[in-house]
Amino acid sequence: MIQTVRVKNNNDSQTAKVYRLEGVSEKQAKILAENLLCEEINQSYTLNKPILRGVTFEIAYKPGVMNPEVASIMKSAKDLKIDLIACDSSREYLDKAPVFNPLIEYMVEREPKTLLIKGTTGKTKIIPIRELSDNELMELSKDKLFLSLEEMKIIQKYFQKIKKEPTDCELETLAQTWSEHSGHKTFKSEIIVDGKKKQPLIERIKQEALKHRKNIVSAFIDNSGVMDFYEGWAICGKGETHNAPSAIEPYGGAMTGSGGVFRDIAGTGQGAKNVISQDVFCFAPPDYPSEKLPEGTLPPKYLLKRVVEGVRDYGNRMGIPTNNGSIHFHEDFRARPTVFVGAYGIMPKKYAKKGEAKLGDLIVVVGGRTGRDGIHGATFSSGEMTEKTKEVNATAVQIGNAIEEKRMFDALLEARDEDLIRVVQDVGGGGFSSAIGEIGENLGVSVDMKKAPLKYQGLSPWEIWVSESQERMIVVLPKKNLKKFVKICQKYNTEASVLGKFDNSKKLNVYFGKEQICNLDMQFLHHGLPKKVLQAIHPRGVKATPGVTEGLLRGGPKSEKEWILVSEKVLSSGDVCSKEPIVRMYDHTVQGTSVLPPFTGVKMDGPNDAVVIRPLLDKPYGMIVAHGLNPALNNIDPYWGSIWAATEAVSNYSAVGGDYKEASLINNYIWPFPDEESLWSLDQSVTAVCDFMKTLKIPVISGKDSLSSTYRGPDGTVIKIPPVLIMSVFGKIPDAKKTVSSDFKKVGSTIVLVGKQNFNNPPHVDLKLLPKVLDTLYKTIQTGKVLSCHDVSEGGLITSIFEMCLGGVMGAIINTSKDFLFNETAGCFIIEVENENVVKKLFQGIPYQILGKTQKQNNIKVDKLFKVSVSQLAQAWKKPMEEIFS
Amino acid sequence: MKTLRLPFDNAQGRRSGRSPKVCILRADGTNCDVELFYAFKKAGGDPEYVNVNQLRDKSKSMQDFQILALPGGFAYGDDIASGKIWAVELVSFFKDELEKFHKKDGIIVGICNGFQVLIRTGLLPFGNIGKMDATLLPNNSGHFECRWVRVRDEKSKRIFWMSINHGEGKFFANNETIKAIETKGLVIFRYIDNPNGSINDIAGVTDPTGRVIGLMPHPEKFMDLTQYPNWRRDKITKPHGSFIFEEMIKYAKENL
Repeated sequence: MIQTVRVKNNNDSQTAKVYRLEGVSEKQAKILAENLLCEEINQSYTLNKPILRGVTFEIAYKPGVMNPEVASIMKSAKDLKIDLIACDSSREYLDKAPVFNPLIEYMVEREPKTLLIKGTTGKTKIIPIRELSDNELMELSKDKLFLSLEEMKIIQKYFQKIKKEPTDCELETLAQTWSEHSGHKTFKSEIIVDGKKKQPLIERIKQEALKHRKNIVSAFIDNSGVMDFYEGWAICGKGETHNAPSAIEPYGGAMTGSGGVFRDIAGTGQGAKNVISQDVFCFAPPDYPSEKLPEGTLPPKYLLKRVVEGVRDYGNRMGIPTNNGSIHFHEDFRARPTVFVGAYGIMPKKYAKKGEAKLGDLIVVVGGRTGRDGIHGATFSSGEMTEKTKEVNATAVQIGNAIEEKRMFDALLEARDEDLIRVVQDVGGGGFSSAIGEIGENLGVSVDMKKAPLKYQGLSPWEIWVSESQERMIVVLPKKNLKKFVKICQKYNTEASVLGKFDNSKKLNVYFGKEQICNLDMQFLHHGLPKKVLQAIHPRGVKATPGVTEGLLRGGPKSEKEWILVSEKVLSSGDVCSKEPIVRMYDHTVQGTSVLPPFTGVKMDGPNDAVVIRPLLDKPYGMIVAHGLNPALNNIDPYWGSIWAATEAVSNYSAVGGDYKEASLINNYIWPFPDEESLWSLDQSVTAVCDFMKTLKIPVISGKDSLSSTYRGPDGTVIKIPPVLIMSVFGKIPDAKKTVSSDFKKVGSTIVLVGKQNFNNPPHVDLKLLPKVLDTLYKTIQTGKVLSCHDVSEGGLITSIFEMCLGGVMGAIINTSKDFLFNETAGCFIIEVENENVVKKLFQGIPYQILGKTQKQNNIKVDKLFKVSVSQLAQAWKKPMEEIFS
Repeated sequence: MKTLRLPFDNAQGRRSGRSPKVCILRADGTNCDVELFYAFKKAGGDPEYVNVNQLRDKSKSMQDFQILALPGGFAYGDDIASGKIWAVELVSFFKDELEKFHKKDGIIVGICNGFQVLIRTGLLPFGNIGKMDATLLPNNSGHFECRWVRVRDEKSKRIFWMSINHGEGKFFANNETIKAIETKGLVIFRYIDNPNGSINDIAGVTDPTGRVIGLMPHPEKFMDLTQYPNWRRDKITKPHGSFIFEEMIKYAKENL
């Protein structure tokens, strides 16, 4: 019997919350209603009766989709001495059903008889493949394994050789491990560029990076890149995209994207604490006409809002400050958005590397339970998006439960500090199959899937093995530490179960009870996939898409009125406009570490270029994080576009006072499917990144690629999402106080442009000059003579000056050539200093130009061209996101 | 029973004596515990993290502490309503313990999520454990907000900058209750720029003894000058959060 409690707020006659409680009496339901579900100060409830007057529509999560509230209700009922068998919560609406996502939600038309998900465990199947034809092999792979014919044939050959047919579990394991998502096949391939053989992309990045190892603690081998900090501490960083799930369920996609990258940090070495969360999104313009959207894609405004909500609800609950990010708009993202999440952590250096697993060590799963949600996430995200993506891959979509992850992290950090953990590994793409397959590569392991705690019954053994259910991690520890470890987990209400152990078999042995469901050679699993040789060819004819300013400036504004109009257009364009309404929904002061938040200034609305925190509250040491990307420039020129992105990242870092020599880079490539043309641009981008490392003598220490940004429509349309390089930079500074914000501080001070502008499209950054400019800037900020500083990027010089005026609630008189105003050369800075006398001394030897002075009057006057009030520009700059988010 | 003397304007120089023991109580989803620990430590206290499970299995006792502090966060996800699940847990298992702690003159303080919990246990504003007299509703904006606001200390009339980080901070009660809160002088902090629609701009309240304190803004996030966004431009000599912590420590040293 299910008791249904409906609760509504007294001032709301349109919606109500519905709680279904299974296994309790009416009397017990009443106790729960009065003590837990309803607060009589402002609410009322009914028991097994309607509460809204009229026709109602109830929207609930589909059975099996994570509803984080359920666990809390179960717990609280137990605290009230009532044992629920099951429960659920949902919402009902009067007269009209709201928009909902049928992938995860449904309309409740009949009261459910039970909330329990029942089912019998499926059997492990043998999949005969030894005799299959090429066509049959591809049929097997399609929409499920996402492997190529060549790969399928290698698998076929292996099983022919060992004279048996594979189990479903074995095939799934191979598909997960060999997926582009987990295997990064393209980056490991040899490539032939316009007929010339080149080393694999990843090798080129590594080779250059490892020449600059001064600060490196670990690079390319762990779940994040680790660099040295101060006094025996290390900091780490990682970036990851979650485009595929976010394209079809943006709220869940953004949540699980955040959750996954946080686990990468928590799963670095023997465990790190997350201290910064970073978000970068690319969408089609929010007002993009819906009739022009490709079939099977969601409207960009909906995607934007739901992604923001997902990041907000997950990051805030985790208590990780979300304080660095950006949002970009380009119509080519209409087919698939880019949703990138970065995370940064800190840990004692002695725990910064994984320990070595030993024979007999236990493999323990910690955190959430395993369900059917998230099956095939890794293989699915490696495939291209089609109009059918939504239907076929609904199970790849999940909702995250941040609290599950939070308590697991709390427990893991305590266990780390007790020296209990040898290895901690994130369970992400590919589920147990990847996590356990990876840690067991050298020794071999035996694990029993029957020991994995399940959310509900009815999963087949292979489903348990590859499920990507969120909020789980694998811990390796010596048997003698188990008792202590479990005790810590209990303190934090997080579940821990031993799945198996290291057995020195050099094999991946998976059991379900007594039945062996997988028996694969580690050697074949990890090295059986031969390196591919891929062709890259320089495309003829370059497609140039005009940037915002370029289109507007054709011929140049002719009157003051036109200049003001153009300025307003630039400031209100998607990439440039204020993102404050979004940032205010993210907690960026939690942990108390903030030294430079996203916004400062008199009204706290002036944007800053990077974030500075003190991750150790009782120490002066600063940690700085910034990023840069080029959502449109790579289409024009992938080399200079990528140089621009990397320069923009490091400029943001330097603008706040960071010393780039004490920084590390993280590169993320979000590229269309690597056909010959896209592989050529990818090669160009990687070359740019290597040149950039060489120029600044700092390493990339982590990165990832997602090479599936291609959409194929039912009518044969192919849309390639713009190739995006996101470059993140993080590093250290001994005194966090020696950093600056962007808001103008004083009336009458001198405004200087530092750096050299370039007028190509994309602008060519002068790489010879760049280190000199950055170094001078750092030293100048260290002297304390820089009152404020802002880098020049999208929107050009005029945008930087406007933002500085806004923050300082003052104006500026400047005098410069009109060509300079909207130029977007990265590596240029606007700097405020006390007076002209100091300028020469400070910036000797690098290009600079005195632009003018700050003034009390609240307007910007560009000599001989125009004068406009700061508040008028502010209105244009703030309006776009305010309209969407208020 | 003694009354804790707020305002927070006379906390100069610490008294000698042992550092008061502060229980930083945590539950699943608590996430402002580290900065709260730091704040008490910096103010001269002796803080210790205690998980609610450790109180439940009796490996720790709240009676061993002079100050019981409930940090911000999202205890149990803030499911059903903010702080609700934790409040039910505390009332179900620790009603007597809390009463005993309160009677022996201990200080109970809840910040943000901690305040939501204290309100939902009924400890605030009138000390009726198990009966809710007021509530904290979703902000008028309908969503979580993170910004710095000015808050006025009701007795000293001094103005403090504090960070707010919440989605459900709108103080609400019926008219009589609000009237009673006002006549008894239980409001300790009011917003200058009300960020959430709280009735009478209420940002923080105390119980009639003054020893149960709850507020939505986060004084613990302003214990160092650099934690304040505009430390580079505004002339501030002492972090605004330190007053409240120093006052609590001073009281505990003198009286407990």
